[in-house]
Amino acid sequence: MRLMAMACCALGVAAAWTARADQLVDIRHKGELTCGVLATDEPMSFVDPQTRTIVGYEVDLCRAVARKIGVTATVKQIAVGARIPELQQGHVDLLAATLTHTRQREAVIDFSLTTFVTGQKVMVRRDSGITNLPQLAGKKVVTVKGGTQEANLRKVVPSVDVVTFETAPQALVALQQHKAAAFINDEVSLFDAYAKMGPAQKDFVILAQNVSTEPIAMGLRKNEPAMKVAVDAALRELEASAEAQKWFFKWFGPGTRLQYPTRNFKIESDRVPD
Amino acid sequence: MTESLATYGLYFLIGQYPNGPLGGLALTILLGASALVLAMPVGILLALARISDWRVVRWPVTGMIYIVRGTPLLMVVFWAYFFLPAVTGKKTGQFTTMLIALAIFNGAYLAEVVRAGIQGIPWGQTEAARSLGLNYGQTLRRIVVPQALRNMLPSLVNQFVTTLKETSLGYIIGLQEVAFIASQVNSQVIVHPVAIYAALALTFFVLCFGVARFAGWLGVRT
Amino acid sequence: MGEFDFSVVTTGEFRTWLVSGFLLSLQLLAASWLLAVPMATVVALCRLSSVGVLRGFGAVFVEGIRNVPLLVHMLFWYFAMPELLPEPARNWLYEHNAEVVCAVIALALYSGSYMAEDIRSGIRSVSATQIEAARALGFGFLAAMRRVVLPQAFRIVVPPLISQTLNLWKNTSIATVIGTAELMYQTQKVETNSFRGVESFGVATLAYLTVSLVITAVAVGFQRRFPVRAI
Repeated sequence: MRLMAMACCALGVAAAWTARADQLVDIRHKGELTCGVLATDEPMSFVDPQTRTIVGYEVDLCRAVARKIGVTATVKQIAVGARIPELQQGHVDLLAATLTHTRQREAVIDFSLTTFVTGQKVMVRRDSGITNLPQLAGKKVVTVKGGTQEANLRKVVPSVDVVTFETAPQALVALQQHKAAAFINDEVSLFDAYAKMGPAQKDFVILAQNVSTEPIAMGLRKNEPAMKVAVDAALRELEASAEAQKWFFKWFGPGTRLQYPTRNFKIESDRVPD
Repeated sequence: MTESLATYGLYFLIGQYPNGPLGGLALTILLGASALVLAMPVGILLALARISDWRVVRWPVTGMIYIVRGTPLLMVVFWAYFFLPAVTGKKTGQFTTMLIALAIFNGAYLAEVVRAGIQGIPWGQTEAARSLGLNYGQTLRRIVVPQALRNMLPSLVNQFVTTLKETSLGYIIGLQEVAFIASQVNSQVIVHPVAIYAALALTFFVLCFGVARFAGWLGVRT
Repeated sequence: MGEFDFSVVTTGEFRTWLVSGFLLSLQLLAASWLLAVPMATVVALCRLSSVGVLRGFGAVFVEGIRNVPLLVHMLFWYFAMPELLPEPARNWLYEHNAEVVCAVIALALYSGSYMAEDIRSGIRSVSATQIEAARALGFGFLAAMRRVVLPQAFRIVVPPLISQTLNLWKNTSIATVIGTAELMYQTQKVETNSFRGVESFGVATLAYLTVSLVITAVAVGFQRRFPVRAI
């Protein structure tokens, strides 16, 4: 009797072990992949007021990954603070929630290949002739007080002369008045400001190089090697077939409010700096 | 330039109201007046403490007044902005922060004005009051302070003008007073900085010079 | 609130920033003061002159500057005035520390207008018979001023001037809004990078108070050494 119980236990543990170690098998069995998204972060994931559905760059990517695995995607809205717990508890299979891949988080979850790179960029006056970050050495760059812009820029160009103002628009005025050669700010704000410039845009250029980078990736449960392999493979296929690029331009490209002119990353790596 | 005036004129005068908080020139005047009204009791209390017979009251208050007067107002504003929420336990907005910083700063200056005013009342007044049976508090409240206030009016008018100018420091903590709004308008318009900042300067000139002249017309000799 | 650790802001890079800010504040004080005092004397004499145009100029100068907050002066001289300059002058300005130059202009004019009033009332308090006697002896207006009135006005004028110097010292903190890297600017920068508000603002407040104390001590010392004599 006791032997039977022990055998059952062992079998149960083995079954649980294999079940846990094969989330991918479970998903294929269910026919459904649950994506956890924020749905409040345009254009990564947000609710389209017309169709009242959740759409966005990360939603498109997640649906495509599900398709490649051979299942349908279910999109579930989760709160920012609940992202990692919901993944760990199994309420969602994958996180597509503007999650930054950081070293600290690697202790509790795994990450897919980096799907989006954001960070801080520099806008320069065209007549300054500056085409890359190292040329800012010794030049005057303006930005707003109280953020990470100054510190980040100094890490890349130690001899830069940074002057800060109380608000970002005030710093932008200083740039437009030729008081400085460049202006550093968060990428999205920079493109927004550039878009608002109208005809004055021809005098300014946003350097493609990031001063600091924030790699966004999909979150995966730890110890699911098969799942990670499948998701990464799916992402690589999307990159190779240029579908990933298509979605980038659909949500961030010239026709949108953000109007990123180019895409300066590829979905190819899950390495991040320290 | 006149299109800028038409487009942004109302924003300059009253800020976002009623679609948002009150701002602009209206806010500048409201903040200046409220701060002076609050600074008066602060100044009177500090002045009474300064002339008090008790050293345990006189010395700390004198020390505090010297510290406040030796510190830039901007520093006092930052202290209030960063540490008032910790002390009061709730998050204070920029208006409240500026109000309290201005009340404390101007209260410390008014303390000297009030002290000089009180000590300028002839001793005979106090003697007469005491001999009529009024106690210390009643003497102050009914005899000395009312007369002192009348003597202090010119200094109070000057302090009001100073307070109106000091409200401009709210710019630095993002309060939507008139200088902040002018800068915002400038960052939108870009091509008329001289006109916009000259208009801002002129607004303050008319306001402050006007207050001093109005007080003069009322009979206050500044 | 957690533990306070003042060593964070008094060592290393943060200390370098705060010290450089303090030194620039002192330089702003000195440069503005040296420009303001002569300017104030000229304006005061204008207001006292018998020429109507000069009196008008003096009055407009003083009232026009005093009724506008220093913050607005700073914004005007940095964001508006340079746009009026011809391009070579403007470029020269931008290459030579525009933030400091514009701050000094604003501070000198603002302090100068207050000092002009103090000097004017100091001169007026010198008894009129002094000027009459000087003129009777054959001195011209300027010579009478230089040799008879101003030396007597000196004792009366210096205490309010020292008080204005104290205000000038505190006013240098407002230059932070046009990007001048003086003490207040550096304190904000240290606070952003160290997350230590109490320590950074505490140290800066102490720095301001120390110089304020020195200026006040000079005032007290002067009044003791050169008391105003009634003639």
